[in-house]
Amino acid sequence: MTVLEELRQAVIDGQAKLAVAKAAEGLEKGISAETLLQDGLIAAMKEVGRLFEEGEIFVPEMLVAARAMRDTVALLKPLIVDHEVQSSGTVAIGTVQGDLHDIGKNLVAMMLEGSGFEVVDLGTDVPPERFVDAIRDGADVVAMSALLTTTMTSMKAVVAAISLAGLRDRVRIVVGGAPITAAYAGEIGADGYAPDASKAVRKVDEVVSGVLGDRGRPDGAV
Amino acid sequence: MPACPEPRRIKVHGARQEDLEGATTVAADPASASLVRVDVQPIGRRVEMKRGATVLAAIRAGGLESVAVCGGLGLCGTCRVLVANGGFTPPTDKEREQLSPAELSAGIRLACQAAVMADGRVDVPPESLTTPQRLQFEGYATSVAVFDPAVVALDVQVPPPALDDLRGDATRLRDAVTAAGQRVARVSLAVLASAPLTLRAEHWAVRVAVHRGAAADGAGEIVALLPEGKVPLGAAIDVGTTKLAAYLVDLGTGETVAKGAAPNPQIAVGEDVMSRIAYADADESGARDLHARLVDGINQLLGELRGQIGAASWQLVDAVAVGNTAMHHALVNLPLRQLGLAPYVPAVTEALELRSTDVGLDLAPGALTYLPPNIAGFVGADHTAVLLASGAAETRRTVLVLDIGTNTEISVARRGRLWTCSCASGPAFEGAHIRDGMRAAEGAIERVEYLDGRFEVHTIGEGPPAGICGSGILDAVAACLKAGIVDGRGGVCRTHPAVTRSPEGPACILVPATLTAHGRDILLTRTDVGEIQLAKAAIRAGIELLIGAAGIEADALDEIIIAGAFGTYLSIASAIAVGMLPRLPPERYRQVGNAAGQGARQLLVSRQSRKMADDIARRVCYVELTIHPDFADTFTQELAFGQRPEDLEPERIRAGSDDLREGGEP
Repeated sequence: MTVLEELRQAVIDGQAKLAVAKAAEGLEKGISAETLLQDGLIAAMKEVGRLFEEGEIFVPEMLVAARAMRDTVALLKPLIVDHEVQSSGTVAIGTVQGDLHDIGKNLVAMMLEGSGFEVVDLGTDVPPERFVDAIRDGADVVAMSALLTTTMTSMKAVVAAISLAGLRDRVRIVVGGAPITAAYAGEIGADGYAPDASKAVRKVDEVVSGVLGDRGRPDGAV
Repeated sequence: MPACPEPRRIKVHGARQEDLEGATTVAADPASASLVRVDVQPIGRRVEMKRGATVLAAIRAGGLESVAVCGGLGLCGTCRVLVANGGFTPPTDKEREQLSPAELSAGIRLACQAAVMADGRVDVPPESLTTPQRLQFEGYATSVAVFDPAVVALDVQVPPPALDDLRGDATRLRDAVTAAGQRVARVSLAVLASAPLTLRAEHWAVRVAVHRGAAADGAGEIVALLPEGKVPLGAAIDVGTTKLAAYLVDLGTGETVAKGAAPNPQIAVGEDVMSRIAYADADESGARDLHARLVDGINQLLGELRGQIGAASWQLVDAVAVGNTAMHHALVNLPLRQLGLAPYVPAVTEALELRSTDVGLDLAPGALTYLPPNIAGFVGADHTAVLLASGAAETRRTVLVLDIGTNTEISVARRGRLWTCSCASGPAFEGAHIRDGMRAAEGAIERVEYLDGRFEVHTIGEGPPAGICGSGILDAVAACLKAGIVDGRGGVCRTHPAVTRSPEGPACILVPATLTAHGRDILLTRTDVGEIQLAKAAIRAGIELLIGAAGIEADALDEIIIAGAFGTYLSIASAIAVGMLPRLPPERYRQVGNAAGQGARQLLVSRQSRKMADDIARRVCYVELTIHPDFADTFTQELAFGQRPEDLEPERIRAGSDDLREGGEP
């Protein structure tokens, strides 16, 4: 196997240390950080998403794969001087106000990053204004997570705040989390819902082409 | 992939062939269009039925037995259920006779009349259930507190009034009690109101219940008057999210004279704490309803216990109630909203002593209800009671205490210091979110072993299995690890002969259709295994971070105390095999049953214990895991089965599985 293949396999298997070691070996052999990121990590996470959708792997395996990806990204990111890596769009992601759970949110963030999105992680317990600010800073998509029945109502407040700021037609909103349903997403006026991290990526892919198209950007695929 | 060992045969304890002959069999190769899925609550079982089957049949397939006095003819109206999210046939004429239009529009149906036409959900209310859930309430006797109850009863002869003795009734009562050796500072309004009649009716000879407050001079409050010779009783109540447990204690001797348990009636409005907080938060009537359901449920249970011993409500002169913070707040009618939003703080942490009439409990009208202090938003007064009853707070040894539930509370006691955290372990151990999961009721598989190449299962009540409860699920995962059917990452070996395909991924057949109560396979799916991985990783991460906070390694633990219903029935060996608990010698583990209920009883009969409860709550250092910098990493690492691998290297995992396979595997 080539180093890139070994790197991909290590990420898919969730072997964080091995993945970092393989990335370092790749760098030594003169493979660029961009290539290791694109053809190693991002390709691996796409494969993880595919395996998940086909029922070959499950959430725990996805979580360990995401951890391997994160550790390796930490090694590669500082080496990518030229930030011109092609981005599919910018996603501002966060766990809504009142909620501190972030494992699911982090997994979605990692999968999005693995699919070539620029991800702005707003963290947990994020008040509506911070989502609004993120749109002003250029986010194409707002992705919200809530893990508690008691905090899912905060999502509605975020949608309202975005509308109030006059930014609703500039952004697409996707939601997810254990208590969330597609019906609830519709009820609060979100653009999409995804039941898991892999489908979240697909949903973001789907809505982002819509928003970029709306804005008439030259790079917006419609 | 390594070749999987082959199971020889599957043995089911307790399932006799004659029991199985009448079992309905759903075609093994179903035309999926004619099958519908029904979620049967409150046990959380999903059953697959032929389209057009009655709701009553679905309930029975789920392993429950609904009351149906008339035998399902639609005549008695006893099989009322709540239906939701689904296609059910329109109400029949018989239903229109038995149920009001308001009930029908609220989704109330008769289970024997309504038929299932599409996927849906059925809630069987407690009154329509005949199969009691196994409600564990036996406590483990621990360090016996010095018998010194908060409420004492004194027999006094009160001098009747005369023209030369015109003292008011309350004054002469107080004087008589003081003369009998107990100083009195106050007389409760309820006693003032009843004293004139009672004293005269009892010919001035009464038994006086005095609540000896915390006042330094020991002066107390008269909380009740009993006829002479009547036993003063105290109620110890453990308010669980799913069940209520109560004990009546003779305050003269400290002896428990009655005990019982019942489902928490709040289940009807939400399965877990968070959904109940959301329900209370939705509008004001929600909070009122939550409080009323709880108080009604407790009063009903206390009534049953009083019935067992022929006691009256006015004999209950003291009460202690423990529960998680949400149950605590719902009982005394405090706002719940802030418990559901970060940073999740309780309305009050200090101990409360409230007039029972203010709470609504059916006790002597002047009696007080004591609630020990809460520790944090997700660590309630029940955990204080657990720490008290287990002796963990007092010992000089290094002790780990776990109360495992949907939320697991963990404490470490070391050299007089206490650390506590709470982790979201999810409802998997209560049988929820598990394909064939159910609560610990009749027909639930509670034990699974893999011996000599076969699965052996044991059900509650010895009957044919209908599903699998928490301890059974944990055992099943451990057994599959041992059998090599599940690997360290949770992967299910697809080529193993005991493995089949299911919509939830590859699945291990624990009990084949021919031996189950409902004629369908009982499976452990890859998704189920994943639920257990998430739950066990949360618990183990909590343990590791907490012992880290205490500055020790697992090996330094002298004792691991496991409290709670699931904790009583779980197999320590299985919990160690999956890596939920650290691998320590078995003699260091102690399963103590309902320690919260035990703690409540202790608080009833020992004033010293109430001081200790305050002291425990003050001493605890609460560790918030959701914001702990190492939580996510520790959690992810603990997703692997087995004992703490450094990383998820396949070599190590295979080695781990080999270790587990030692002993018994051909």
